[in-house]
Amino acid sequence: MLVLEIENLSAFYGKAQALREVSLTVNEGECIAIVGANGAGKSTLLDSIMGLVKTRGTVRLHGEDITGLRCAQIVKRGVGYAPERFNLFPHMTVRDNLLVGAFTARNEIAKNLDAVHRLFPRLAERENQETSTQSGGERQMVSLGRALMSSPNVLLVDEPTIGLAPKVCGELAKVLQRLSKEMGLTVIVTEQNANFAISLAERLYVLEGGRITAQGTAADLSKDDILAKSYFGA
Amino acid sequence: MTQILIQGMLLSGLYALIAMGFMLIFSIGRTLNLAYGAYLLVGGYVYFWLCQQMGLPQIVGFAGAVTAGVLMGLLKHRLIVKTLNGDHVAIEISTLILAVVLQAGVVLLFGDSSKILLPIVPGVVTVAGAQVTFNILTATLISWAVIIGLYLYISRTHTGRAMQAVSMDAKGAALSGVDPDRINLITWGISGGLGALGGVFFASYTQLYPGMWVAPLIISVAVVIVGGIGSILGTLVVAHIVGFMEVGVSSWSPELRGVFTMILIVAVLVLRPQGLFGREETH
Repeated sequence: MLVLEIENLSAFYGKAQALREVSLTVNEGECIAIVGANGAGKSTLLDSIMGLVKTRGTVRLHGEDITGLRCAQIVKRGVGYAPERFNLFPHMTVRDNLLVGAFTARNEIAKNLDAVHRLFPRLAERENQETSTQSGGERQMVSLGRALMSSPNVLLVDEPTIGLAPKVCGELAKVLQRLSKEMGLTVIVTEQNANFAISLAERLYVLEGGRITAQGTAADLSKDDILAKSYFGA
Repeated sequence: MTQILIQGMLLSGLYALIAMGFMLIFSIGRTLNLAYGAYLLVGGYVYFWLCQQMGLPQIVGFAGAVTAGVLMGLLKHRLIVKTLNGDHVAIEISTLILAVVLQAGVVLLFGDSSKILLPIVPGVVTVAGAQVTFNILTATLISWAVIIGLYLYISRTHTGRAMQAVSMDAKGAALSGVDPDRINLITWGISGGLGALGGVFFASYTQLYPGMWVAPLIISVAVVIVGGIGSILGTLVVAHIVGFMEVGVSSWSPELRGVFTMILIVAVLVLRPQGLFGREETH
């Protein structure tokens, strides 16, 4: 069953066009990755889904056209987003950051907080610490935790491995797999690190210059010599 | 000396209330609302009209003043701030013009002479040998109650936490399901209500006159710049510094009242731009 459908989505920053007629689909419970270099439009694509960028085209969630809705309305419909720069509230504690994430799911705070603490036990240990004093890995956990506090059924994760140590990346991959496989969340991850993306995703889309230039399973994409050299280190 | 200490303590509570509304808009909406003093002007005159001209009970006067302030705040956000869409210079100039227009409106309706607002609670009490009016005592106690309520609202409720979140990272707040625009609207409403309430007390402490919006605006700017953006504690502490300084200087040389406050603003801007209690912005 299709959860997210994007049709001919173009995005603009003033007169500059950052996405060009992007179309993609994501099935329920699926984990897909958008792979591309710096400036390819990965973050813009996720921002566009969240209604943060001026766009043309259509975004449908569970069949409902959500194009033009405000970000808060999209979160309320079940889309969580952990952005690349985290966008945490630096002078608030870990707990308060998570509680802000529960703004649209106030009746499920206890359940969601428990789930977040089980996924990231460190957040429970440091719940009274201000996020401005945390490491990059811990902030990534808070960012993901905050997104999960809104009870999403679709989770967007923007370049989660940037600046993280390889060991932390491995732990993160396990968490994202658990969210998709065990908890049934539909997960969309953008990555420059194609090997990390392959370790996670069932299908991949390659984004170049704001366009989708290739798509398929990791096995499909690795058959293409140019793509394999560019993204998969072959 | 005791008189200065007690007067300083009482006046500071009122200054803290007045500055709190200005601080909210500056911290959350990131707008220097130069028409903030106009909330006090409107609050004071609405109370005067309802209680002293219409003869209605004080509670109606307070409710009317606060309602007028809230409505002004909401309308200002919808008609000016939102329309000008983040153009801070245009917003600041527009709000300043609005204050001048409101002053002209007050002159038209009530004349340009000063009015005496009767004490909210008449009478005088002697505390440690110092004469204290019930009026300023009541104003201070209500101010403290409102400030404590505001602190609890901001730190303990979902909307309060969302207000803090918007002040720190509007995009992060939006991604959490918070509508920054709605939070800003609420903040402008609360700020208007606080300003109007402060205006009733300020007018009863001083006088009611069309230009009365300027002095509280300067006090608010001083308290927020010296205290630091987004700090309720900073606002409280600096309101007391300014309050004590003004009472102390007035007792020595009334003409210099306000001058030291200005010197304090400049000193803090030069030495610690984020304010005594503010923290440097992190991005």
